[in-house]
Amino acid sequence: MSFAQNKETKEAEEALVRDFQTGNLEAYDKIAEIYQKKIYALSFNLTRNPMDAQDVTQEVLLTLFKKIHTFKGKSAFSSWVYRITLNATYMKMRSKKKEPNVSLEDLLPSYNSSGYQQEKIQDWSENTESLLFANETREVIQKAVSQLPEKEKVVFILRDGEGLSTEKVSEILDLTVPAVKSRLHRARLFLRKKLSPYFEEYHSQREKK
Amino acid sequence: MICCKECLELLSDYLDGELDPKTSSSLEEHFQDCPPCIAFLNTFKTSTHLCRETIRQVDLPEVVQIKLKEFLAKNTREKK
Repeated sequence: MSFAQNKETKEAEEALVRDFQTGNLEAYDKIAEIYQKKIYALSFNLTRNPMDAQDVTQEVLLTLFKKIHTFKGKSAFSSWVYRITLNATYMKMRSKKKEPNVSLEDLLPSYNSSGYQQEKIQDWSENTESLLFANETREVIQKAVSQLPEKEKVVFILRDGEGLSTEKVSEILDLTVPAVKSRLHRARLFLRKKLSPYFEEYHSQREKK
Repeated sequence: MICCKECLELLSDYLDGELDPKTSSSLEEHFQDCPPCIAFLNTFKTSTHLCRETIRQVDLPEVVQIKLKEFLAKNTREKK
């Protein structure tokens, strides 16, 4: 289930939040149940560390409990939860040694003066579905995602990972819609370029068989 | 006709269905005459798909769920 919500679940959730705000603890349990997996996944994708993701989830759920009275409904409740999760995750990451960032510019497509692309591209896109089930692929992809610059990474995880709309992500991150789009696109370009050697290798191994 | 650069810059909007029909067709026109851009499109689409599915596979381990439940029971019930 993603946070992309339809009207009914949104209304049901708003009712839960109101119930909890008036002291109904069962409503809180339901909210925690709905959100814990999402908080954990978002935090894990940003930190790649199960212990950190667990700590963050615990902390965020407790914050929701303690701070629910400060939620005024100016934005969607889910956006509020996302912002708390991002803040808690970044606080956690601040104390850790960071992996050196890979330059994004180096991995964007290059063009000649007439705007023609200059990359020599092998099309490795066929028969890649089985890759999804390989642990190695998962690790390679997670590592590539972790090397994205932070600004692009968070947009990629929220848009493509959580399946949120561009508008929703712009609300959570307080960015304009064009800024979200541009960061998402740069993230995808980066990942494609970064992962191409791995996928090319996989493709040529299969061709040989 | 649009050039490769314009075409690749619009690729995400194109795949996310966020382009107007006219711009979409001009991208498709470009693809017809540009095999490298087709290869780029295919690999871009596939890598985006694989990355998306991979980061969606993260699951909350059962043991963590149990720990969270205990933690919340302790911290949200005893004080009230």
